[in-house]
Amino acid sequence: MTDEDLGSGTPRAAGEALVTSASSGEAAALPPRRRGISLPETAALFLVLVALFLFFSFTSKYFFSTDNIVNILQNVARIGIVACPATLLMIGGQFDLSVGSMAAFTAMLMAVLAAPVGVTKTPFAMGLGIEISFVLALLGAFLIGALNAFSVTVLRINALITTLGTLAIFRGLTKVLGDGQTIRIENFGGLGIMRIPEGGLPVPVYIFVAVVIISIVILRYTTYGRSMYAIGASPTAARLAGIRTNRAIAIGFLLSSAMAGLAGLILLSQVGGASVNANTGFELQVVTAVVLGGASLSGGRGGIPGTIIAVLIVGVLANGLIQLGVPSFWIEVANGVLLLAAVGFDQLRIRLTKSTA
Amino acid sequence: MTFELRARDIRKSFGGVEVLHGVDLDAVGGSVLALLGENGAGKSTLVKIIAGDYQADSGAIEVDGASYPVLTPRQARDLGVAIIFQEFQDASTLTVAENISLGRLPATRGLVSWKAMKDRARRILDQLQVDIDPDDIVGTLRVGERQIVEIARSLSGSARLLILDEPTAALSHHEAETLFQFIRRLRDQGVAIIYITHRLDEVTAVADRVQVLRDGSTSLLTDVAATDRRAMIEAMIGRRMAEVGRPAPATWAIGERPALAWRAASAGRAFADVSLEVRPGEVVGLFGKLGSGAAEVGETAFGIHPLSAGTLEVNGQPMTLKDPYSAIAAGTGFLPADRKAGGAFLVRPIAENVAVASWPRLSTMGFISERVEGKAFQRWRERLSIRSRNDPRQTMGTLSGGNQQKVLLARWLERDSRALVLIEPTRGVDVGAREDIYRSLRELAAGGAAVLVVTSDYEEAVQVADRVYVMSKGRVATELHGDAITTAQLLAAAGG
Repeated sequence: MTDEDLGSGTPRAAGEALVTSASSGEAAALPPRRRGISLPETAALFLVLVALFLFFSFTSKYFFSTDNIVNILQNVARIGIVACPATLLMIGGQFDLSVGSMAAFTAMLMAVLAAPVGVTKTPFAMGLGIEISFVLALLGAFLIGALNAFSVTVLRINALITTLGTLAIFRGLTKVLGDGQTIRIENFGGLGIMRIPEGGLPVPVYIFVAVVIISIVILRYTTYGRSMYAIGASPTAARLAGIRTNRAIAIGFLLSSAMAGLAGLILLSQVGGASVNANTGFELQVVTAVVLGGASLSGGRGGIPGTIIAVLIVGVLANGLIQLGVPSFWIEVANGVLLLAAVGFDQLRIRLTKSTA
Repeated sequence: MTFELRARDIRKSFGGVEVLHGVDLDAVGGSVLALLGENGAGKSTLVKIIAGDYQADSGAIEVDGASYPVLTPRQARDLGVAIIFQEFQDASTLTVAENISLGRLPATRGLVSWKAMKDRARRILDQLQVDIDPDDIVGTLRVGERQIVEIARSLSGSARLLILDEPTAALSHHEAETLFQFIRRLRDQGVAIIYITHRLDEVTAVADRVQVLRDGSTSLLTDVAATDRRAMIEAMIGRRMAEVGRPAPATWAIGERPALAWRAASAGRAFADVSLEVRPGEVVGLFGKLGSGAAEVGETAFGIHPLSAGTLEVNGQPMTLKDPYSAIAAGTGFLPADRKAGGAFLVRPIAENVAVASWPRLSTMGFISERVEGKAFQRWRERLSIRSRNDPRQTMGTLSGGNQQKVLLARWLERDSRALVLIEPTRGVDVGAREDIYRSLRELAAGGAAVLVVTSDYEEAVQVADRVYVMSKGRVATELHGDAITTAQLLAAAGG
């Protein structure tokens, strides 16, 4: 599964080495052949996706149709856009549970900023233009990311507690802003619904593809992305190698918040209104996809291709179950099961590498 | 009846290599036996066999007139054998009383009786004449007190033979003295004690008899009163004393201005008033046992700990290093003692492990290519004799310890570091790779680098350094030059 299972190179203690012959340990250090790290895993994941796809195609009349496939893509786009920076964070040994609340808060912020004064019930309505509201809302998302980053890197509160806290805070503030109601927004269909070319794919799918490409480039080819792998592999070693670990992790949280905000605005555009309960459980879908995609909870491993396939699995499963007429409650159950299975698999992998490394 | 444990002709092999060649050991109630020897001499293996943790391949252990070819941990405990390891095996968030009764909490009808538990703890602590409150949380105690609680725990199970494995490694001088008094009291109460150490002064301070192990055999067994330091050192290192060679003296020029210099530097409780210099072209050893402060001195050069007094000069400039990043910018490279946790990225490619500290130079606009990293790796592979496949993408974790260390050395060479601080550079490294590393360090010095090797291995200091500072108890005890650097001198200066 990994290339550590060759089990070589465990150094003897100094004293013992004096007793044994000098270079026997050296010869054993050369593993017999090379093996790719993530390819077999990604391939297995891909087979699962294909299997699910075929299963639903045969069991449901509606599943395999152009409309439905576009529908799936449109739904997974939002998860995928957030799962990319989430993968980056997970590789660095961090994660962000506040993405659902950030998405909801950003959407509500924009809806409220754009809502005509006096007409809507919320006292925060500003009546600003669509463009300026859009920019200010994204800026708001960014500030939440900065708050997460500050808490994790400066206050040293771990990512789980920090983002669990901001998850609650911004879900609550969303309700405050909207006065507990759904706030409608007019003339904001472009981001979520418009198709390019006409009758083609919706805009979020293009954004998704762009985010994927940029993320792959960042993780594979930039010192920033590579430093996240190093931090996840060993935070101490990364610091001692001169990597500015706090800065790198902070940037990760900022990227995560910006993308979560964008995902929230896409949903706002699709639905035409910001609901106080929008994006509940979004973080669960994102984390499920990231872990299922092979990013290790212990950091240092993972990649965008795995995450993308996993995002598609999550999307196909949800859509397929709906097509089969399974009540939507059960889809939540399926998501939870999928998360536990993915984490269980990751733990198994960690244990296997530990026992042989 | 006096407790007597006699181990006879104990043999033990690991992986086909015999590490104990038929050793005898006698532990008698009311007497402290010091078990002395270098790392790897077989001390720990021997006591683990007595405590039932390992099974001997042959030989027997006699207790109370019965003979056991092997002991299980349970049997050993029932016979009254207790062993205290260096690492605490206590529950640090619980109280002293709970720890002492751990695993056998007094209970009535399934409910814990706190009163009985505290009474038991107080009784044992009183008997040991130590002033520790049974209600204190163990994690808040000083290290020495924690050790005593562990001993108290083993005694509450009525131990008759107490084995202590280098108990003073983490203790201050004062705490060690308290522990010695405590051990003497236990001895006077009739407990048999085996005290493992490699510090000679502790042998004279606490033991009645001394047994020295070397390479799996007993090289000396006598009353402490009947021997001296020199005899014990010789018994410990024996013929190897002559084997360790000195490096050829430097034929190149040594720089005038020190690359690294500590001036009356102190750091908290780790070390005080340390002055030392490392010049370009020199390999300087900083020798000291664990807890001597030597490692901490090295770490201040890399911004890991701040100085609390005095100054650190880099190339003649006083510097306040706030983190490793600023130390690297000042031209310093660093190999930590714990290679796995602090140096290597085990799951990442070798080439990345080499290039990571040089990313700012090797990258363009934040982009780094595997090809450039691969070239960086190839530059050093031959020169440092790194044994790996000819594949920059091979993961670091598949290399042996010695080769990982060479890769980390390459990291700082690629970074063009002019000063190198290495903490225990060959710990866990086999002999062949060790020679490679020493040769590389000499070559680096010849090329004008300033190298500081912080080590607790006297052979290492002898083999690699032009000059050696010896540290003891947080201070520089002495400085040795050239042929004055011998194992005997080092051991004597480091306080045994």
